[in-house]
Amino acid sequence: MSFIHPLALLGLAAAAIPALLHLLQRRIPPELDFPPVRYLSAAERESARRLKLRHLLLLILRTALIVVIVLAAARPLVRVRGGGAHEPTAVVIILDNSPSSGAVVDGRLVLDRLRVAAHSSIGRTTSADRMWLMLSDGVLRGGPREALLATVDSTRTGWQRLDLVQAVQRAARLVEAQPLPGREVHVLSDLQNTAVATGKADVPRGVQVLALSPGRAVANRGIATVRMTEGAAVIELSGSAVSAGGAAQPVPVTIRIGGGRRDRGEVAARGLATTPAGGGGMSGAAVTVSLPAQSLAPGWWVGEAALEPDELRADDRRPFAWRVAPPARVTATAGAGPFVAAALGVLQEGRRIVEGRDVVISAGEAPGGARAIVQPPSDPALVGQANRALAARGVPWHWGPAGTPGPIAALELAVLNGVQVVRRYRLEGEQGADGVLATVNGEPWLVRSGGVVLLGSRLDTAWTALPAAPGFVPFVDALVNRIVAGEAEVASAEGAPRVEFRTRGTDTIGATVYGPDQRESDLTPAATSLAIAALGGKDRTEVLDAEHFAAERFSGTRRADASGILLVLALLLAAVELGVATRTR
Amino acid sequence: MPAVPYQGHSLPPRIDLLDPAEVARLGGIEIVAQGVVEGFLAGVHRSPFRGFSVEFTEHRAYQPGDELRYLDWRILGRSDRLFVKQFEEETNLRAMVLVDASRSMAWRGTPERLTKRAYADRLAAALALILLRQRDATGLVTFDEQVRQVIPARVKAGQWTRIVRGLLDTPDGAGTAAHAALQRLTALLTRRGLVVLLSDLLFDRDLALMALRYLRHRGHQVVVFHLMDPAEVELGGPPEVRFRDPESSVSVVVRPRELARAYADTVRREIAAWRTACRRHGIAYHHVQTDLPFGMALRLLT
Repeated sequence: MSFIHPLALLGLAAAAIPALLHLLQRRIPPELDFPPVRYLSAAERESARRLKLRHLLLLILRTALIVVIVLAAARPLVRVRGGGAHEPTAVVIILDNSPSSGAVVDGRLVLDRLRVAAHSSIGRTTSADRMWLMLSDGVLRGGPREALLATVDSTRTGWQRLDLVQAVQRAARLVEAQPLPGREVHVLSDLQNTAVATGKADVPRGVQVLALSPGRAVANRGIATVRMTEGAAVIELSGSAVSAGGAAQPVPVTIRIGGGRRDRGEVAARGLATTPAGGGGMSGAAVTVSLPAQSLAPGWWVGEAALEPDELRADDRRPFAWRVAPPARVTATAGAGPFVAAALGVLQEGRRIVEGRDVVISAGEAPGGARAIVQPPSDPALVGQANRALAARGVPWHWGPAGTPGPIAALELAVLNGVQVVRRYRLEGEQGADGVLATVNGEPWLVRSGGVVLLGSRLDTAWTALPAAPGFVPFVDALVNRIVAGEAEVASAEGAPRVEFRTRGTDTIGATVYGPDQRESDLTPAATSLAIAALGGKDRTEVLDAEHFAAERFSGTRRADASGILLVLALLLAAVELGVATRTR
Repeated sequence: MPAVPYQGHSLPPRIDLLDPAEVARLGGIEIVAQGVVEGFLAGVHRSPFRGFSVEFTEHRAYQPGDELRYLDWRILGRSDRLFVKQFEEETNLRAMVLVDASRSMAWRGTPERLTKRAYADRLAAALALILLRQRDATGLVTFDEQVRQVIPARVKAGQWTRIVRGLLDTPDGAGTAAHAALQRLTALLTRRGLVVLLSDLLFDRDLALMALRYLRHRGHQVVVFHLMDPAEVELGGPPEVRFRDPESSVSVVVRPRELARAYADTVRREIAAWRTACRRHGIAYHHVQTDLPFGMALRLLT
């Protein structure tokens, strides 16, 4: 309840007047002779209880009368349901057009149902409201009602996943900052379990979050990832089941490589993935499809894994990119250390490298070979000589003074992340030097320039924990086969399924595979309690079906002036008080 | 005193029917009582009281107010003169007027009204005058906690003056213990007769009734005038007031407006209780407010 004239509430102090008057009137009364006192005493004895009740009733009535009149003067605004206009409201409508909204339920696109609700919400706004529309891209679109209605009409199922928790939090902060009486966030989503399972939105007080309850759950299966290994493709599935129970079912998977590359031909293969028994969804289901690796020519290959069509088509196919290349020819100098030698031995056994001098791993010596991986010399006195050798080769980086210990941070080399470095030289570059691949305490630790890769520490456990880490051999593999050649890892990103290559000059140095987030495949709706807890908590969030959603919209600010009712009540109280006060019996 | 218009004629006013307070302003008890009695007797056509005997003794001249049934028609037929027959016991009626002189009787609700005591004095004087004119032996007793004045019942000349003086000589008393005084009176009233009690009856009803019942048992005809000021019947006053009993230290704080109805009920019940108790014992009971004209009060006795 709010008040138009809240200062008038100070008048509530006047409610004490009847009680004060009652106390103040307890003065010494005048004394008069009256012979029939015995009759008076008898009458008073008989009426004492009635009189006490009457006095109490009068006190209550008079106090209530003052309270009601003061409240009426303050012009209270009470919340009303249904009908009537609402006060100016700041509202963000979150229309979740993530890939999962493309599912077809009961013959109707989920997004269509959400779009109708968004249309209705926008239609209920007035010119005094401020409104934004947020789609799964997370962009807050403001503007006039007509523009937002047009945006809703033109919205199609997107390829980006929407983290509802973050979206609601952002929307709540936005409306909370608006100087309007009402603040609401309308969440129009299929409320996937995976969309609300991460964290809890911090919704400020005074912001109402209304979420449309999800429709009927449908089963779905999609391709989560495709990993290429020597001679085979491992395809992992994801998705959701409608109900628990049921036997394991085989799922046919088709894989095609080389489509559209007429010069290389096309390889197609099929396999059967087995869904886990018990109806626990598709998590963990995988199929390995053998490929004729020997027949694939060196170079970049693009493929696609596909499933039979189901209710959600967006995740039924996923592209992938794969580079077929001969193993690198590597050698290590004596100073490279035993750990490097051991790793190269393992890679050689796995046929990831062969003996040769295309790539040389050294320690402070002048970089030899076409491509060189250089560690700092073990003797600090040799650092100057090593730096001069680097400069002679045209490398704009050199070893500086000793740096502070710390963990490695590498954006593109996940195996390095967090590994501790205890001893290192700071890598200092000339003006404009680039090619930083990993850092320690924000300072370059691994850099690449041309065909030379420079390390800030020796690959030795006295310098860093990396040689003892499980990721050491994969790191050396990536170092000699990819990084020193300037090739990036195959990256994945959200978007319409496709593969984009990165090139440098005429060389292809990496690829990005686009596709939907694998969490979009799990169409299991979140439990209402989970959704409420994640989107703001019981005090601020409601998950409602379409009918109640429509009724509750803007109801937080749908208010009416109750002063009229209070004045009528005051009149009634006054009439009752008059009746009781004048009634002598 | 203005003349009262009656059927087109201007008649002298009947002071027995005027407001008692106005009548009292005409003069002392004697004047008022005589005026009241004159008016009263002019208004009635028979004597209000009858004797107890039926044995004829003598004739006397007719006086206005004598009952026509006692008129001797034979003498009227023979001599055209009016005589009434008198009976043996008629002259032997002994009436005692008992006047309560307690402090509560000296109270009045407003200064314009007579106190209960003043009203009782004038009513007693008028009553005595009527009785004495009928040649009934009439006496007076005034009392509060004690018997203050006793004037034995006589019919001789000057008796009325003695009675009036007795009333005037009795000051306002203290508390009322009427039962004690009444019990003493029973010893004084040996010969049966009429006993008229004028009191506000603000004393213990059971004890008082016991004494009155004893009088009744002794063969007396007992008449009780329960005198009340109108302000005692309908409660009024300031919004809040402490009422104090003038005869005792008892006091009570009340809001008259709140308690008016309950008080009126209590008074009504008290009057009804007195009336019922008196009737049960053959005692005539009359509730009289001090604004009732004396003539109307006297008429209650007829």
